[in-house]
Amino acid sequence: MTIVVPRGNRPRGKRLAAGILGRQPIGLLLSAPYAVFIAAVFAYPLGLAVWMSFHHYIFTAPGVQVPRPFVGLDNYTAVVSDPAVRQAFLNILVFLVINVPLTVALSLVLASALNAAIPFRTLFRISYYVPYVTASVAVVGVWLFLFSSGGLVNNAIGPLAPNPSWLINGFWAMPSIAIYVTWKQLGFFILLYLAALQNVPKELYEAAAVDGASKWRSFRAVTVPGVRPATTLVTLLAIITGANLFTEPYLLTNGGGPNGKSASPVLLMYQRGIEQGHPDVAAAIGVLLVLGVLLIAGVQRFLERD
Amino acid sequence: MTRTLPRASYRPPADPAAVTEPVPGARRRWLRIVVLVLGALAFIFPFYYMLVGSLQKKSDTSLGGAIPRPGNLSLHNYGQINAAINLGQTLLNSIIFTAGVVLGTVVFGILVGYALAQLHYRGRGTLFAVMVLVQVVPFQLLIIPLYVQIVRSYGLADSYLGMILPFAINSTAVFVFRQYFLQVPVELFDAARIDGASELRILRSVALPLVRPALLTAILMTFIGPWNEFLWPFLVTKQHDKQPLAVALANYISTTAASAANPYGAILAGACVLAAPAVALFIAFQRHFRSTDLGSGVKG
Amino acid sequence: MKSRTLPSIATVFLLAATTTAACGDGGNSPAADTAAKAHGPINIWYSNNAQEVAWGKQMVAAWNTAHPTETVSAQEIPAGQTSEAVIAASITAGNAPCLIYNTSPAAVPNFQAQGGLVALDDFADGANYVNARSGSTAGQYKSPDGKFYQLPWKSNPVMIFYNKTEFAKAGISTTAPPLGTYAQFLDTAKKVVSSGAAKYAIYPSPSSQFFQPWFDFYPMYAAESGGKQLVENKKATFDSDAGKAVTGFWQQLYAQNLAGKEAYNGDSFADGTAAMASVGPWAIAAYKGKVDWGVVSVPTQTGGASEQAPTFSDAKNVAIYTACKNRGTAWDFLKFSTSAEQDGKLLEMTGQMPLRQGLEQQYAAYFTANPQYKVFAVKTAHVVEVPNIPQSVEVWQAFRDSWSKSVIFAKEDPNKALSDAATKINGLVK
Repeated sequence: MTIVVPRGNRPRGKRLAAGILGRQPIGLLLSAPYAVFIAAVFAYPLGLAVWMSFHHYIFTAPGVQVPRPFVGLDNYTAVVSDPAVRQAFLNILVFLVINVPLTVALSLVLASALNAAIPFRTLFRISYYVPYVTASVAVVGVWLFLFSSGGLVNNAIGPLAPNPSWLINGFWAMPSIAIYVTWKQLGFFILLYLAALQNVPKELYEAAAVDGASKWRSFRAVTVPGVRPATTLVTLLAIITGANLFTEPYLLTNGGGPNGKSASPVLLMYQRGIEQGHPDVAAAIGVLLVLGVLLIAGVQRFLERD
Repeated sequence: MTRTLPRASYRPPADPAAVTEPVPGARRRWLRIVVLVLGALAFIFPFYYMLVGSLQKKSDTSLGGAIPRPGNLSLHNYGQINAAINLGQTLLNSIIFTAGVVLGTVVFGILVGYALAQLHYRGRGTLFAVMVLVQVVPFQLLIIPLYVQIVRSYGLADSYLGMILPFAINSTAVFVFRQYFLQVPVELFDAARIDGASELRILRSVALPLVRPALLTAILMTFIGPWNEFLWPFLVTKQHDKQPLAVALANYISTTAASAANPYGAILAGACVLAAPAVALFIAFQRHFRSTDLGSGVKG
Repeated sequence: MKSRTLPSIATVFLLAATTTAACGDGGNSPAADTAAKAHGPINIWYSNNAQEVAWGKQMVAAWNTAHPTETVSAQEIPAGQTSEAVIAASITAGNAPCLIYNTSPAAVPNFQAQGGLVALDDFADGANYVNARSGSTAGQYKSPDGKFYQLPWKSNPVMIFYNKTEFAKAGISTTAPPLGTYAQFLDTAKKVVSSGAAKYAIYPSPSSQFFQPWFDFYPMYAAESGGKQLVENKKATFDSDAGKAVTGFWQQLYAQNLAGKEAYNGDSFADGTAAMASVGPWAIAAYKGKVDWGVVSVPTQTGGASEQAPTFSDAKNVAIYTACKNRGTAWDFLKFSTSAEQDGKLLEMTGQMPLRQGLEQQYAAYFTANPQYKVFAVKTAHVVEVPNIPQSVEVWQAFRDSWSKSVIFAKEDPNKALSDAATKINGLVK
């Protein structure tokens, strides 16, 4: 519902400004610092990245002249026809399919549980949050210990342990990383849902309880719709973080894992761009990755619109 | 966007402690607690193991090592780290770096998040698109041109500003602010507009008081990035007295740790030191995640 | 909002891209000839390895006392993989220091292509100094254009360290362990693992970074092939009997689980998890007090590996970077820091081998006092370096990828993988 202010009450200058600048031009002022920040910091690197992807480009010392011919889509063709790159994109897809639904579901369920008045609530909240704040470098060591071939998990599940073991197994490597990242990031998403849950009015739950709804029913009918905007946010952020995965494949499987089965596009970008000195190819991979994520995000928004 | 709030019956929320479970749900409550406990154990076990490992005099990688043995415990690893890197100075640098980022994000992020959510102006759509884009693009793609720009064009090598600048306004936090302001009923703002309040007044008196849960979330979220960030501060600063804790620890891990008596323990000790302030901050803030007095903003 | 998102993003991309294209580079490196004679304060970087830092500090202090108008200020950068990214970034930004005492020979072709390195031949006595100091080994460090863009500084000849305690437990001789031929090595490896003395016989890192072959394949290939580099005269050399022999040997080790396939957190030899390690003398400081070690040359197929058998050098070199204004001082300082006196101090303080000919004679006193280092000194004259070719990192990555697939994870026949890698690499270097 919008409140319409009768035209006659607004001075003419303001009406004119409203036509060009929108109803609340003060928004421009409020957004200006952020816009300036983006322009000053990201515009050049981003533009250069896109420009590089269409040229033959290497980073050079200042003043060094080097031919940088326009090569059209050559970098993109080279990248798309490279089986390692295709495998990396496939790996990320596998990762997203496991990680995103698991993250959304688990974090909402846990956030609801942690929102209720339960004993030791603070302690629980801290436990779920702690992995998120700990630097990956340290936590990875512990996970390697747990999931190595002689580790705790394999000892616990005995004959069911996959052979070769988790992180060196072509089939299980990426799913293992997906589980690890879900575990590690969950604290952040629980936080987002906790904040959103504060806005779901208590009397809706009371009304549902009065109507005789079970806990599960009221979860589905009150909680889930009530935090819809947060779900959008969580899904989008999970997709973005997942697509940009770099640290975990790097640390957990030290590079590409068995046959590149746990390589990620950003890992390849780092290899090609920084280690091998081909930033043009890396930029092409990067642009494709960005387009891919935007596509997935767009599809998700479209499905949500219904 | 649909909202499930029935307009007319909006009342201040009741005290959470007053919501009682119907008696038959008591067993379900116990089940819920058991599940939570198991989950919490799974989540905190690696951290617990890190803590135990950091306190071990001699590295014990067997399964039994998970249980702290009094004979094998000491603060030796922490002492070694303190001797190797100047914990005081590096902590200070981390705090300055992180505080700069949090400040920038909170001050400017709330403004633009509010503007993106509740105000209508030209360029709003484009700005939102750019904000999404900035989050989607991976940092590794930008890192060398960004470095060249900050160090050469802006001349900010070896400075706190150079460290802070690329992270100054966290776009994800802006996203969170925007999402949060979208959830606030538009009626609150329109009511104030009808009363003749200027936009700035509305921002100050209506929007800002409401933003506390989002603010806390944004702070907790923005804090982690710069606190744990290694590559960027390392690229920008070579002077030891400007390097934050994450960088000093990474350097320590890659070199001196190997010659320590218990290298793995020393690394874990460093990681615990790095994690401690973040956990402390969370403990302090999470208390505030209670229902806000949203209803009191709408009259009648 | 959503319908405007995509066009908005496209506009932003295009705008940013065109603006960038319009912007030029800005800034220039100092003109080569004037800079070569300029003298004044300079800045250097060295690695943050504790012993090297100690050496570096005393060296800088000694110079600064003698040259108050040409002071040297020094900073540390990590010796790990990130150092390449840091150096590349600083070359691009134009703020690289004058000297970096941590330049990896494999990165030199890239830095050279970036226009970041100064040819030592620009200095009147440049080439002569390098040849006089390092002798015949210096040749491997020339770039394809025949000039030296790096000064071969120090080497860590890769050899096989073995854990005497664990060998004794397995009933293997600790003074003359049978590790000379592949067959003997495999037997010994099996014995030490099956006796329970160690979990693995040897545990080089199984990860897929481009430099990992330098510690499993390359040292043994150098020995087996009699000193060949991976690529010579623009052709891959390893698709040969020597290459196949080395690959077959490692495939056996992995297939029989004598070498670990998972990432290991820490140093497996220092922890006692692996009974042997393929590494150079810098690691001795890390093993002190933890492992009672012995050292032998890497094995060859038929044995007879003498002290003079080649191995991988694992060298770190020094280069002068084009951002340097006072190159005269930089060159003088470089000569000072690699003089006989400073090389001796490096040897004493770090145990790493300066790439100087006649090491044992020059520092006879040191080697008498530290006989366990003598074997490394002998090896230094017979080290094989990574080939100085453009695309060197890409070449090693291609090799490692095929090694990973065939040798470590046994998903492909090693011989076929070897020839495929050779074809790919030939395509890269032509």
